[in-house]
Amino acid sequence: MGFLNIDNVIKHYHDVEVLKRINIEISQGDFLVLVGPSGCGKSTLLNMIAGLDEITDGDIWINGKQMKGVHPSKRDIAMVFQSYALYPNMTVAQNISFGLEMRKVSKPERETAVSRVSKMLQIEPLLNRKPSQLSGGQRQRVAMGRALVRDPQVFLFDEPLSNLDAKLRVDMRTEIKLLHQRLDATIVYVTHDQIEAMTLATKIAVMNGGVVQQFGTPEEIYDNPVNTFVAGFMGSPSMNLVPAKVIKVEGRLSYQIETKNAGEPLLLPVGRDEMAISKYLDQEITVGLRPETITDPESANHTEGTVHEANLLVDLTEPTGADMYVVTLLGGQEVVGRMRNRAKAAAGENARFAFDVSRNVAFDKASGERIQ
Amino acid sequence: MSARSQDRPSQDRLSQDNALRSAIYWRALIYTLLIVIAVIYLAPLFVMVVTSLKSLEEVRLGNMMALPLEITFEPWVKAWGTACLGLDCNGINGYFWNSIKMTVPAVAIGTLLGAFNGYVLTKWRFKGHNIVFGMMLFACFIPFQIVLLPMSQVLGILGLANTTSGLVMVHVVYGLGFTTLFFRNFYEAFPDELVRAAIMDGAKFFTIFWRILLPNSGPIIVVTVIWQFTNIWNDFLFGASFASGESAPITVALNNLVNSSTGVKEYNVHMAAAITAALPTLLVYVVAGRYFVRGLMAGSVKG
Ligand SMILES: Nc1ncnc2c1ncn2[C@@H]1O[C@H](COP(=O)(O)OP(=O)(O)OP(=O)(O)O)[C@@H](O)[C@H]1O
Ligand SMILES: [Mg+2]
Repeated sequence: MGFLNIDNVIKHYHDVEVLKRINIEISQGDFLVLVGPSGCGKSTLLNMIAGLDEITDGDIWINGKQMKGVHPSKRDIAMVFQSYALYPNMTVAQNISFGLEMRKVSKPERETAVSRVSKMLQIEPLLNRKPSQLSGGQRQRVAMGRALVRDPQVFLFDEPLSNLDAKLRVDMRTEIKLLHQRLDATIVYVTHDQIEAMTLATKIAVMNGGVVQQFGTPEEIYDNPVNTFVAGFMGSPSMNLVPAKVIKVEGRLSYQIETKNAGEPLLLPVGRDEMAISKYLDQEITVGLRPETITDPESANHTEGTVHEANLLVDLTEPTGADMYVVTLLGGQEVVGRMRNRAKAAAGENARFAFDVSRNVAFDKASGERIQ
Repeated sequence: MSARSQDRPSQDRLSQDNALRSAIYWRALIYTLLIVIAVIYLAPLFVMVVTSLKSLEEVRLGNMMALPLEITFEPWVKAWGTACLGLDCNGINGYFWNSIKMTVPAVAIGTLLGAFNGYVLTKWRFKGHNIVFGMMLFACFIPFQIVLLPMSQVLGILGLANTTSGLVMVHVVYGLGFTTLFFRNFYEAFPDELVRAAIMDGAKFFTIFWRILLPNSGPIIVVTVIWQFTNIWNDFLFGASFASGESAPITVALNNLVNSSTGVKEYNVHMAAAITAALPTLLVYVVAGRYFVRGLMAGSVKG
């Protein structure tokens, strides 16, 4: 059994089933990220782990101990809230030590703990300020300090970075990651930002509509999405999901994809999962192409022999500085590819595209489930 | 093009001047109006103060609005210490303290209970919390007169008839609807996450109330205290009904003083007594009102 075990957890609010049989298991030191669109039940699940909300059915185990009926303060858990929830009437130092005070830790010990944590988070000069005198990033740090000082078994973070501006968010993200590595802490982290999920997690649970769509390592989630929801949600720009037909060309299983020049479809060899996909011969499916697998020929990786080239009409180019996103129409949909910044592609003209077919994935058209 | 752009500025200045002038006119008009209204409102107070500083002869002979020819504090001293209410001539000071002894505990208890109710009704919701709140809200609309008879019966049963403690209880009970309403609405907007954070920190039910909710309730405490203080201090009906004689509050005493029909009407003493009776509420407004505004401002700038 894992360190944190979410076992068949169901949550109803009145008649609405908000969580539908959630099963997640992680080990000591794991960084679990719960990711999903707004309203999918991430915060609800986090509150169940914290014990702030009652579970309708199922149970949660932490370090082999059943949590049913255990009060939030007795679970050895600390939580960082989205709004930081700093007590406005207390100074930073009082905020950090309040939890210890409630646990009847002596004053000298509390002071030692506060100075240890404030040193770690570099908030020593702020200790005598009130929360209203802090910037967003500083408040964030104090909120983390309040959690760290208790040295709990599990940390819970509910969208801790969503109130920060873009730059600060990236900085704090790095800091949280460093903190995790340094403390070897077990963390459950809620976000709806898939980049945060990819960069921080050792395990990701992608949720939608109260169901865990997929649970796995960031690589598994990214490379082997189990359905079109996960495929479309993770990655930025998101995976291109294009209607295609499975056909055989010269004995080779291929995807036939409509292009703008109607007479001439794009033919891409099926690079993986051929056994499963062959059952769909002559049927319509959805093929998923990551933008980074669609490049200019020069930047493609030709060593594996899985690159397939084609001429396609460019609809739009979006230079970002480092790369250039190139949009073309495939299967009636805008498809984004990522080329070198100075690649030969211009809007309204034909350009040479290189597809790395080894990384394409196929989904059932009706159900959206992965074919593999 | 160039010619146009050259005479543009002067035109602008002209219209600016016009705008400025009409703004000044408006301002003058508004200020005049405000001053007139203020004078009308302050006139009675002026008369009271002036009269209370005159000797009785001067009051009888002179103009009501005229300043005193000779300032005397005699009426104040008399009102406080030796004026006759009915048969006993000890002034109003005893009744003033009665009012203090009634108002301060009633305000404190009422405010605290209201805060506690608001806390439970918003942060520890139970089944039917809305019905309970609805009923408390209803209590705000019950007129004084309806309460009188049942209340006097209850006071009689509790043995609190004609006592200051009895009056405290009456005012706490009657004010509870309002104080609960104030605090419930304030705590409704108070972030749940703070309470949840405190729960995770290990704080218990009452600790959360004392250490988290109450210290962050400054503005609403001030509002409630002003409201309760003025209502309870100025109350006449409950005081006259439940605490006659020795334990009467100052409002009742003032009435007795004015109605004491021995000899001439000492207007100067009456005025001094009336101002004395009004001073505490004025003080509460002046002192707490400033915190009230400050509290509102702080709330609005906080992120
Ligand atoms: N107390 C409640 N009563 C009824 N429904 C609720 C309650 N709390 C949450 N819900 C519902 O449960 C669902 C999941 O809510 P939750 O807050 O867990 O979403 P979330 O994934 O955290 O979303 P977000 O990213 O917006 O924070 C939502 O549809 C919400 O409306
Ligand atoms: Mg949420």
